[in-house]
Amino acid sequence: MSNIPPSQSPLSRPPPSSPNSRPMQATDPNQQIQRGPSPYQSTPLGPAQSGIRPNVPPAFRPGNFQQTPSGRPLSYPNQTAMSPTYQVMPANSTSPPAVENLESPSQRSDTPPSTSHKPKRLYPKEITEAYTESNTYGGQYQPFNPAVAPGGIGQQVQPPAIDQNAYQQPQFFTPAGDQNYQATAPSMTPAHYSQQYNTQQYNTQQYNTQQYNTQQPSMNASMGGLTNQLNNMNLGGHSQTQLINVNLIGVPPNVGDLDAPPPPINLPPNSSVTQSDKANCEPSYKRCTFNSVPATASLLSKSRLPFGLIITPYRSLKEGDEPVPVVTDTVIARCRRCRTYINPFVNFVEGGQKWRCNLCFLLNEVPSQFDWDLQTSQQANRWKRAELNHAVVEFVAPTEYMVRPPQPPVYLFVIDVSFPAVQSGAVATAAKTILESLDRIPNEENRTKVGFITVDTSLHFYSLNSNSSEPQMLVVSDLEDVFLPQPDDLLVNLTEARSVVESLLSRLGDMFKDTHTVGNALGSALLAGFKLISSIGGKIVVLQSSLPNIGPGQLKAREDSKALGTPKESALLQSAEPFYKKFAVDCSRSQVCVDMFLLGSQYSDVATLSCCPRYTGGQTYFYPAFNAGRSEDALKFAHEFAEFLASPIALEAVMRVRASKGLRMTSFYGNFFVRQTDLLALPNVSRDHSYAIEVSIEENITTPTVCFQTALLHTTCFGERRIRVLTLSLPVTNSISELYSSADQIAISTLLANKAVERSLSSKLEDARDALTNKLIDILGVYKSAITGSQGASPQLQTCENLKLLPLLALGLLKHVGLRASSQIPTDLRSYAMCLLTTMPSQLLIPYIHPRFYSLHNMPIDAGTYGPDGIIMPPSLNLSSEKLERHGAYLLEDGQNIFIWLGRQVVPQLCMDLLNVRSYEEVRSGKVTLLQLDNPFSQQVNAIIGKTRESRRGVYYPHLYIVKEDGGDPSLRLWFLSHIIEDRTDTVMSYQQWLGHLKDKVNSGSF
Amino acid sequence: MPGEALLFLFGTIMAAALLFMMVFFTIMFSDLECDYINPIDLCNKLNQFVLPEMLAHAFLGFAFFINGSWIAFAINAPLVAFNVQKISNNRHMYDATEIFRTLGQHKKECFIKLGFYLICFFYYLYRMIVALINES
Repeated sequence: MSNIPPSQSPLSRPPPSSPNSRPMQATDPNQQIQRGPSPYQSTPLGPAQSGIRPNVPPAFRPGNFQQTPSGRPLSYPNQTAMSPTYQVMPANSTSPPAVENLESPSQRSDTPPSTSHKPKRLYPKEITEAYTESNTYGGQYQPFNPAVAPGGIGQQVQPPAIDQNAYQQPQFFTPAGDQNYQATAPSMTPAHYSQQYNTQQYNTQQYNTQQYNTQQPSMNASMGGLTNQLNNMNLGGHSQTQLINVNLIGVPPNVGDLDAPPPPINLPPNSSVTQSDKANCEPSYKRCTFNSVPATASLLSKSRLPFGLIITPYRSLKEGDEPVPVVTDTVIARCRRCRTYINPFVNFVEGGQKWRCNLCFLLNEVPSQFDWDLQTSQQANRWKRAELNHAVVEFVAPTEYMVRPPQPPVYLFVIDVSFPAVQSGAVATAAKTILESLDRIPNEENRTKVGFITVDTSLHFYSLNSNSSEPQMLVVSDLEDVFLPQPDDLLVNLTEARSVVESLLSRLGDMFKDTHTVGNALGSALLAGFKLISSIGGKIVVLQSSLPNIGPGQLKAREDSKALGTPKESALLQSAEPFYKKFAVDCSRSQVCVDMFLLGSQYSDVATLSCCPRYTGGQTYFYPAFNAGRSEDALKFAHEFAEFLASPIALEAVMRVRASKGLRMTSFYGNFFVRQTDLLALPNVSRDHSYAIEVSIEENITTPTVCFQTALLHTTCFGERRIRVLTLSLPVTNSISELYSSADQIAISTLLANKAVERSLSSKLEDARDALTNKLIDILGVYKSAITGSQGASPQLQTCENLKLLPLLALGLLKHVGLRASSQIPTDLRSYAMCLLTTMPSQLLIPYIHPRFYSLHNMPIDAGTYGPDGIIMPPSLNLSSEKLERHGAYLLEDGQNIFIWLGRQVVPQLCMDLLNVRSYEEVRSGKVTLLQLDNPFSQQVNAIIGKTRESRRGVYYPHLYIVKEDGGDPSLRLWFLSHIIEDRTDTVMSYQQWLGHLKDKVNSGSF
Repeated sequence: MPGEALLFLFGTIMAAALLFMMVFFTIMFSDLECDYINPIDLCNKLNQFVLPEMLAHAFLGFAFFINGSWIAFAINAPLVAFNVQKISNNRHMYDATEIFRTLGQHKKECFIKLGFYLICFFYYLYRMIVALINES
């Protein structure tokens, strides 16, 4: 109770709430004021400045002004000016806000707006809920904001939730006549207001608390309160070692915690030699499924937690990210025996003459130049060296690390120019995009080489001699025995041959516009491309619009809609033709990477074609039903393709993960080729690709810490051989509870997603889902028996605080398009989803499994505006259709697609502001580009969409769909609803049913 | 020399050959584990022998069947069926991309076959001697 701020202390809250009086709740009213979305907040600024302003009589209600729109109180224009959101600013709220505003400025000045959204995740979901709820009943969506809807548009009043209002109405509200929304807002005298306001918030809180039985069942509510307090205090702190029990049943998951950092790594003091705060690896580079490693294999198998690493070695740097420090003096200290690179966790002994490897404990000499600064020729401070201060560091590699001089970046474009490709506009769009991206292709050293092959039923090579002004086309129609028509000029230096390359690209779009050739010999083109660049290595970029149907590697349209949803489906998800896999293996040897852009309007056999990128470190991009005639399609493809071309790549790379004695890497997931038992060959390292590695404990660990070191030896695109080293050190534990309390649900979900995809490809989709469910049951069952120690049936399903979203994420996976049981999902979409599931880094994968969901019509006033940390996002909602109000507008995004859902009673003004149409009926559902309209709401929504598009890692540019609650495209609506994973869908359980199912299994099983 | 003795002499030689082939496979697999060979070379090398091995074994089984050596045929029939099933599922070739994931399984299979051929070798030898004794 001591954490309750003074302003709240006079309140005597009713007993039911006190057990749940977590600090967050106590501070909640303040919080609401800071975040500014409350219905009251957007009231006039003027009165606040002037101090006092006349109260509008309570009798003034929207109903009134609906009849007499002109007779608005003085406050209205102000209010409108202040509240560009569609959040409900009811007429009746006019009187209380006056007072609220009196104190809010000071509070606002106390807490700068920066705090208003940054620590969002610290606040449990209930707060958010209370907060939106209060908005809702503080006045339902105000459909007519007189100032913005002058012409009588939007005069249509919809009181959608009258009952709810009446029900929710706290005793402090004055029911002002009719039970419309305006009735719900308090109309009370200013003197009481500030207190009352808080109280009212509390009531809301209690209401929610009771309704949802917040976080803890009533039986151990007080304990729950305590643990929650602890938890909230500990968030972001250091000593989160104790296990915090959380009951899952009956509580909506707190989706805000999806962005929470993993449990802290509690290394023993002085484990790093330099005490640098960068000494241990950031989770965005490398994270382990638990942050304290079990000492014995039996403890690991007893806990049933998966043991694995999620590694994103070549992640993109966003603004504000620190670049990876580079060690340029080529003094690379490595252990003689295990070849570990020196890192912040080694020990220096014998006066710093020797260092003890922290993986194998061998004593090694410190290189003589280790303390020497080559540039100044002076003694240097060893403790300033980057490799002793940073867990992520890059060494410039000397020649011993090269088998040949660093290769230049090579881009060979293999473009399908058969009739479907030309007709859909793919060729023209691609050519234009390449042309516009020529300056962005990594070419710092002017060494980059490019080449082009176009293919239909024959292969067309282009001689791009830099001395000639025009490209020359050479046609080869022998598909079986591919040869290169001439030895030179097919692959040219981009800088030298720039003009001829530009000339080719500007004409490529039109060159084939009259073609009627149906048929594509991709296999031959790939073989030819391989011949062309295999001596150097590089990238083959395939732009494919039709199914390759002649020559080697020909494919059939094997999609069989009858097989979907049956065990036969997994055959369709496997490669149909060994050619592509074999080709990929050859490519991997010659450091050639294949990237596939599949733009097919029909079946494209993603399953087979994605084999090439999978084993060469590339990526598959899929644009179903691509048609450049639709500007959205063209924009998405052009944007992603341009970003892809512009992103720096690492060439001829190998990656190895070393770990302390006793640990062994057993299986690897991601896009690469396993060349040795622990060596991954990556001809190209694509940006933001994630790799999952399963680890096993071979022998018991006796040391207090273990270390994982990933070394990525690569050539940068500016021709430097470098080694990127990522070192992660973790404490060792003998206690199962510590193991559980340090488990990282995000990493576990990422690993489970990879394993599920692997399983569904090698066996059946159903097996993959069962394995996932069983894993969850195991984890929860062990938690129940080993940690809470309860035996027999229990009405609760408990887990620890840091794993509480694991069931939700697992459910998200089960309902994901890649794994869901359904007879409606085309295999192409499924295969593509699987490609994404195995390559995405956690930051992209988690939204992909569990989309972000925002409500737009009542978002906070500052959402979508610039805060100190960029665009402020609205609070994310639970993925449950109970959040969908009929008058609401919602935004849902999973990193690949963005949906805007409009309820059927959405206020016309909102349609006007957002889409520039007069009413809901005129809204056209489907793929759109959102207009930039000159009103605050449109700007906010555009800002939010812009932020979601750019904030994630990866090149993806999500499509935007408008979804209408009724009317429009029913399949689009179903697609949208399939993302609402907390609801029951035809085959899969709702979140609470799923928990119930898990609970039953946990109760009946023995662990 | 009578037909049966000749057949079992042939069987003995075949079993010895197959035995050596399995030893070779096992050595190659352990080479792979020790990183003496890369998976692409390994698969290219081993895949040359997969079909000949299966054909040789099937031919032997067929010869026993023709000759009416029912016991010898019965011993070999399960492995023939297993091989046929593998080919029909297109799983008989070693896949360089999957080899590390399936290495344990391959090794186990190799060891079992090794033991099987060893037993077969002695059985055929015994049958050959029995046939020769009966003859004389």
